[in-house]
Amino acid sequence: MIFPKTTISEIIGLLEAINDAGGVEDAARLAADFDLELDEILPSIEGAELLGFVITTDGNIELTEDARKLLNASIQERKKIIRNKVAGVEIIKELRNELMQSDEHRMSKEDALKFIQRRIPSSDTESYFRIIINWTRHAGLIGYSSDSEEICLMSKR
Amino acid sequence: MLVEIRNVSKTYETDGTRIPVLENINFTVEDNDFICIVGPSGCGKSTLLRIIIGLEKPASGEVLFKGKVIAPDNPKVAMVFQNFALFPWLTVRENIELVLESKVLHEKEREGMACKYIKAVGLDGFERVYPRELSGGMKQRVGFARALAVEPVLLCMDEPFSSLDALTAQNLKDELLMLWADKNMPPDAVIMVTHNVEEAVYMANRIIVLSPRPGKIVADLRVELERPRNRKDPEFYRWVDKVYSLIV
Ligand SMILES: Nc1ncnc2c1ncn2[C@@H]1O[C@H](COP(=O)(O)OP(=O)(O)OP(=O)(O)O)[C@@H](O)[C@H]1O
Ligand SMILES: [Mg+2]
Repeated sequence: MIFPKTTISEIIGLLEAINDAGGVEDAARLAADFDLELDEILPSIEGAELLGFVITTDGNIELTEDARKLLNASIQERKKIIRNKVAGVEIIKELRNELMQSDEHRMSKEDALKFIQRRIPSSDTESYFRIIINWTRHAGLIGYSSDSEEICLMSKR
Repeated sequence: MLVEIRNVSKTYETDGTRIPVLENINFTVEDNDFICIVGPSGCGKSTLLRIIIGLEKPASGEVLFKGKVIAPDNPKVAMVFQNFALFPWLTVRENIELVLESKVLHEKEREGMACKYIKAVGLDGFERVYPRELSGGMKQRVGFARALAVEPVLLCMDEPFSSLDALTAQNLKDELLMLWADKNMPPDAVIMVTHNVEEAVYMANRIIVLSPRPGKIVADLRVELERPRNRKDPEFYRWVDKVYSLIV
């Protein structure tokens, strides 16, 4: 699998733009609106699709009901929706399972990199690590401490 | 009336030549104003903002905050910067608590306020993270939380979205407007500097247009567009065109 190199903030920004366009928009037009190249906006479209916020058909990107809910929600409610969505992403599900079974629900960064490398073979594992942690922190699921160089399950509040 | 900018002029001296930067700026800021200051590059927007918050002295004229000459350490004014201006060796929470140190004496109270505004901007879970690990969007959320944590009456922002990628900027503009719309949240008024006309029309209920250097006010407009605004709306475009025509 390939994990889209984008952040949750970019994905929500994209959804807001599609919403302004009436709920459906052409990928090329979206890119142009933001002064971006098509391949610069594609990761965010893929990210939005992975989270179930859009459906794409023939270059047309359409918001789902969940995306509308997200856009109408407050900042705190948005976090909850994002949490549920990110928790459903396969690689993140697996990583959480692994953490659940590990000592103190922690894992060294080194092991996390190996875990990612096995599922997303690339020479760029470090940047996938950063992106996945960006998503899981945003979602309040998995955190990372750069002091101890460990990832850990975040407590549910 | 919250802030009164009275006959403010400013001149810089470089290599013995005096360069007038701002000329006779007059306007007042009222409760509930969301003012965007726009104008061509180098016309003195940032200088004006620094004068308004008391960081720089005008050559002539004055800035009054609730009737008194503004002081640089005014606790009721907060600033958000383009480059976030976070301390890299402090965590998110420590960065926010730091600005509260001189204003809130009790540690517990400081913690509580930091937490409240961390939550308000959706940064909960990031409390103990260092800035270097944050995306630009998250860094600027820290910037917002830090500014709001002092519960300012006036919030000033200098190009707060211009070092973010376009999609993240879109997201943060909307979140900032959500915070603004929340009447339980500070501030009472916002002054934001931007060179992006579309952004100004999207955010502001009042736009002040400056001329090329030396900056003079060429227009002070109330933006009568309903919220939430839609950038695809023809009426929105008319406003953008109108403001552009005043700048060129
Ligand atoms: N400390 C200083 N000493 C000398 N000249 C200065 C100083 N600060 C600013 N200037 C000059 O004053 C003018 C106005 O600067 P200012 O940064 O306020 O403009 P601006 O409208 O914010 O520009 P930009 O759109 O590029 O951000 C510029 O020509 C700048 O070079
Ligand atoms: Mg400037």
